[in-house]
Amino acid sequence: MNLTDIIALALRNLRQAKLRTALTVVGVVVGVAAIITMVSFGLGLQQNIIVKTFARMDVFTSITVFGPSAEQLIAMSENRPRAEDGADSGGAKGNRRVLDDAAIAEMAKLKGVKYALPVINFQCFARYGERTRRLRVGGATASVEDNPRFKKLLAGKAFSGDDANEAIMTEGILARAWFASSSPPPSPSQRRRPPPMEGRPGGPFVAGSAKSDEERAREAQQAIGKEIVLLTLRRVESSGPDSVFGIPLLTPPGRNGNAGDGADEAEGSDRYERHVFRVVGVLPTETGLNMPMLAGADLYIPMEQARRFREANRDPMEKLGEALAGDSGYQRAEVRVSDPTQVVEVQKEIEKLGFNSFSLNNQVDEIKRVFLIINGGLALIGGIALLVASFGIANTMIMSILERTREIGIMKAIGGGDGEIMRIFFFEASLIGLLGGSFGVLAGWVVDRIANFAVNRWMLRQNEHIEFFSIPWYLWNGAILFAIAISLIAAIYPALRAARVDPIRALRHD
Amino acid sequence: MTETTTTKKTTSDAAPDHALTPILAARDVSREYRMGSEVVRALDGVTLEIARGEFVAILGTSGSGKSTLLNLFGGLDRPTDGEVLFDGESLGPFTSREMSRYRLRRVGMIFQSFNLIPTMTARQNVSLALAFAGVDRRMRQPKSLELLERVGLAARAEHRPAELSGGEQQRVAIARALANEPQVLLADEPTGNLDSARAHELMLLLDQMRRRDGKTIVMVTHDHELARTFAARTIRLKDGRVEEPAPAQPHV
Repeated sequence: MNLTDIIALALRNLRQAKLRTALTVVGVVVGVAAIITMVSFGLGLQQNIIVKTFARMDVFTSITVFGPSAEQLIAMSENRPRAEDGADSGGAKGNRRVLDDAAIAEMAKLKGVKYALPVINFQCFARYGERTRRLRVGGATASVEDNPRFKKLLAGKAFSGDDANEAIMTEGILARAWFASSSPPPSPSQRRRPPPMEGRPGGPFVAGSAKSDEERAREAQQAIGKEIVLLTLRRVESSGPDSVFGIPLLTPPGRNGNAGDGADEAEGSDRYERHVFRVVGVLPTETGLNMPMLAGADLYIPMEQARRFREANRDPMEKLGEALAGDSGYQRAEVRVSDPTQVVEVQKEIEKLGFNSFSLNNQVDEIKRVFLIINGGLALIGGIALLVASFGIANTMIMSILERTREIGIMKAIGGGDGEIMRIFFFEASLIGLLGGSFGVLAGWVVDRIANFAVNRWMLRQNEHIEFFSIPWYLWNGAILFAIAISLIAAIYPALRAARVDPIRALRHD
Repeated sequence: MTETTTTKKTTSDAAPDHALTPILAARDVSREYRMGSEVVRALDGVTLEIARGEFVAILGTSGSGKSTLLNLFGGLDRPTDGEVLFDGESLGPFTSREMSRYRLRRVGMIFQSFNLIPTMTARQNVSLALAFAGVDRRMRQPKSLELLERVGLAARAEHRPAELSGGEQQRVAIARALANEPQVLLADEPTGNLDSARAHELMLLLDQMRRRDGKTIVMVTHDHELARTFAARTIRLKDGRVEEPAPAQPHV
């Protein structure tokens, strides 16, 4: 008896008890659908956090090096002669040095390092369109190679040089710039809105634009070539170490605590310098899970320009550090390695140089481990449903065998072997598993789609669709195979029982 | 398996003469059943031989052990004591796999209640036996039709057992029993559920199988009349023992 015959007989058996087969299959469907839904949710979350959010910014090759904290700066200034003594440096290792250009150059020379750049981020008033806004400005290099962020521009291109008077703005601030006609003029309350990256609706998820991609690109295109003016305070001659506590000097006298709103009126004052930049590119708003730590700036200007701005626009904290340690250096620097496997090695070297550093690489491993546990737990819960279904399978098989005792007896009397009889029932069970598994995957997918739709439609109320579920091929393949395996296990006892049917007893006259 | 029989032979006259070796033999066969705490002795030291091409009827009242003996010959059961031999080879050491091969190839069984699979057509019932023997799928259709032809049922091939008369069902059962060309047909009360006219027809068919194809036929019955008419020899069983061997009937 070949495989085709055995499958044909198994199918025939299932067909003869359609309702019972269907009910048993439904049991498996529920179990598999539960596994699919649960695990796909876990995987979807993982996908959203790790793959989309992290990988997008090429963070796997990035190391963030931190400059000394204020406490450490104070410690350094007080214990200058014995700076090597790490015991009293606030508990934290490293950070015995100032993160200056020399230190960054040393890092750039480390093996495996592609480049090391200071992170220059500052807040600045900018005038563009008809308004003045406080923006977060970041420095970036002209080279796209060194700046993965600029790989995907909505419009325009990257900087022409590291000292060019050019700017790249993000789509988020673009919306409020030159399109005043398409949106109502800002009311005073709206003008006091916090910076764009904070307090968005929808919690940690950043919504995309309601507009189509073409429309977005067209709008972005309109911004290219426009001017954006950054305002800086004209340098006050007396910003020496004796004016450490002269922090109010940064704000025009009489306008304390009203800086945000006063900028418009203050424009044109000779206390300010105007720096004109031409917009050369627009970055699309990054959608998906928003990690504030990874967030960049609202506006990017070339690195050399940013360095100069930083000099002119030191914040009180930096001024304090400068006073304490001579030069506070940079707060952060980004070191990029060419291969993710080198991250740990390079981090150790940076530690030796005397700096604390952070990379997502080890964190990602941690996160992946956590997700493995979460997914395992979710699969287990789904597995319980399948376990319950397996009892249904066993029950169905036993019923089938009881009903077919005579038939089994006949098969044995005419020469059917125990193995063949057993195989028929194993195939019967695995067909139930296959059917249940396949429909279960389908059902799980449908549940995912409905849940995803519902969450996007009624809970997030955003225009951009966020995919919460992920059903990779190994999940649905695995679920079907698992259902078949469970079915086969459930069929062991019934199949053995079928093989042990005593033909004489089975064929006794009725 | 049969090739090795000559060496394994336990017969006293170890003559290699194939034709003289009984196709079936029972040597001091006993079969006990446990019924709760009681032990029932269905067969008690039965010794007999059945020659090639013989038509033997086993007679006896119910409970005499005649069906038990047939089941032992058919390889459905194993004796508690003694041994059953097919063509000189003992069935005792057979594994359950070898036993099912034996049932498939060496003997064909026919039952009082026909024992056809009710959800299958006549042809499918015959095909099933061919399938167990590993006959190619495409060969089964013509082969099973040919077998049904032999029992005169070609026209009813696509009918299910419920649509066939008792006599027809039994003929399907014979076609199935013959499917893998066994040398022996074992019939357990084959006419028990048939009226006398159908019974007579069936006996003629079995006799034809013996005459034309040289099949050995062992039939269990309690119908003395039929036994006397068709069987060359009758063996009487009583309380699990063979009563004095009946003399061979001359008119066959």
